[in-house]
Amino acid sequence: MSLTLRIICVVGAALTFLGITQQVRKSKIKIEDSLFWVLLSGLLLLIAVFPQVAHFFSRLFGFQATSNFIFLAVIAILLVKEFDNTMQLSQLKHRVNELAQEVALAKKDNEL
Amino acid sequence: MRILAVIPAYNEEDCIADTVRHLVDACPDVDYLVVNDGSKDRTEAICQELDLNHVSLPINTGLTSGFKAGMKYADRNGYDAVIQFDADGQHLPEFIPPMAEAMEREGAGIVIASRSLNGEPPTGARGAGSKLISRLIKMTTGVTILDPTSGMRMYDRNLIKQFATSFDLSPEPDTVAMLARKGVKVVEVPAHMEERQGGQSYLDLPNIVRYMLRTCFSILMFQWFR
Repeated sequence: MSLTLRIICVVGAALTFLGITQQVRKSKIKIEDSLFWVLLSGLLLLIAVFPQVAHFFSRLFGFQATSNFIFLAVIAILLVKEFDNTMQLSQLKHRVNELAQEVALAKKDNEL
Repeated sequence: MRILAVIPAYNEEDCIADTVRHLVDACPDVDYLVVNDGSKDRTEAICQELDLNHVSLPINTGLTSGFKAGMKYADRNGYDAVIQFDADGQHLPEFIPPMAEAMEREGAGIVIASRSLNGEPPTGARGAGSKLISRLIKMTTGVTILDPTSGMRMYDRNLIKQFATSFDLSPEPDTVAMLARKGVKVVEVPAHMEERQGGQSYLDLPNIVRYMLRTCFSILMFQWFR
């Protein structure tokens, strides 16, 4: 794992952490929703400081280069996150629709 | 049999008054409910001026959700059947009584107003789409539905409850297919339909593609998991 990639990981981790704490401070993100990003920045930092961890798993799964393993791992994590987002969005849509329906029906009840 | 016509309306200021007047004249025994799904035009104002029986959603939520609001109303007010009725004047109320009669006579859960049975199947691109959906339903459920894209459908008490409570039941062909597979009896009754009498159809090309994709995927794949 090259020094460049390690530096990128550290910078990425720092930026993610700073960004997320800023948004939590400005009340733009709930703490429970910030958890994923804090953990992700922690993971990036871990990989940058202890590349042996990435080396180990990379070799275990038979990757040619550790960087390949890191890329794939990050993509996989983000895909799972994206799927989770879609799911939450669906449920939110459902809830908003339910509320709109109930508001409409309640308004009618009050008129009678 | 107490029947409620649920009329979803999104920006239907041109037709809604005529549609309701025609319905009330032709079928005085059938109650109706206009569901104004967050229209941005004068639909709401017209409903109030003419004192139409209506509910108004504060935001636009789409046909499935608007129809669900109507089903909740029907469920809570103890209706025996709901007829899904377009606001744009395509559907003719004269066909509601024969549909209700077919529902009682055949013990059907769904009665579809069928243009195909009336010798006027949809033509052109719409006809091709309709035929494809028909074939997919036959393939996956063994049930023959000649006019699956007809939007004029009657649902019985049992289905009113299901529509009112489930997460994602759309008043569309794929739902008919899924219910048919689950043993709900689907009957078709010959019916004539008009062209839409005004307003804008939401069926532009991207929407048609989306509609066909959603319907075909739903029939082919998702109904097995539901």
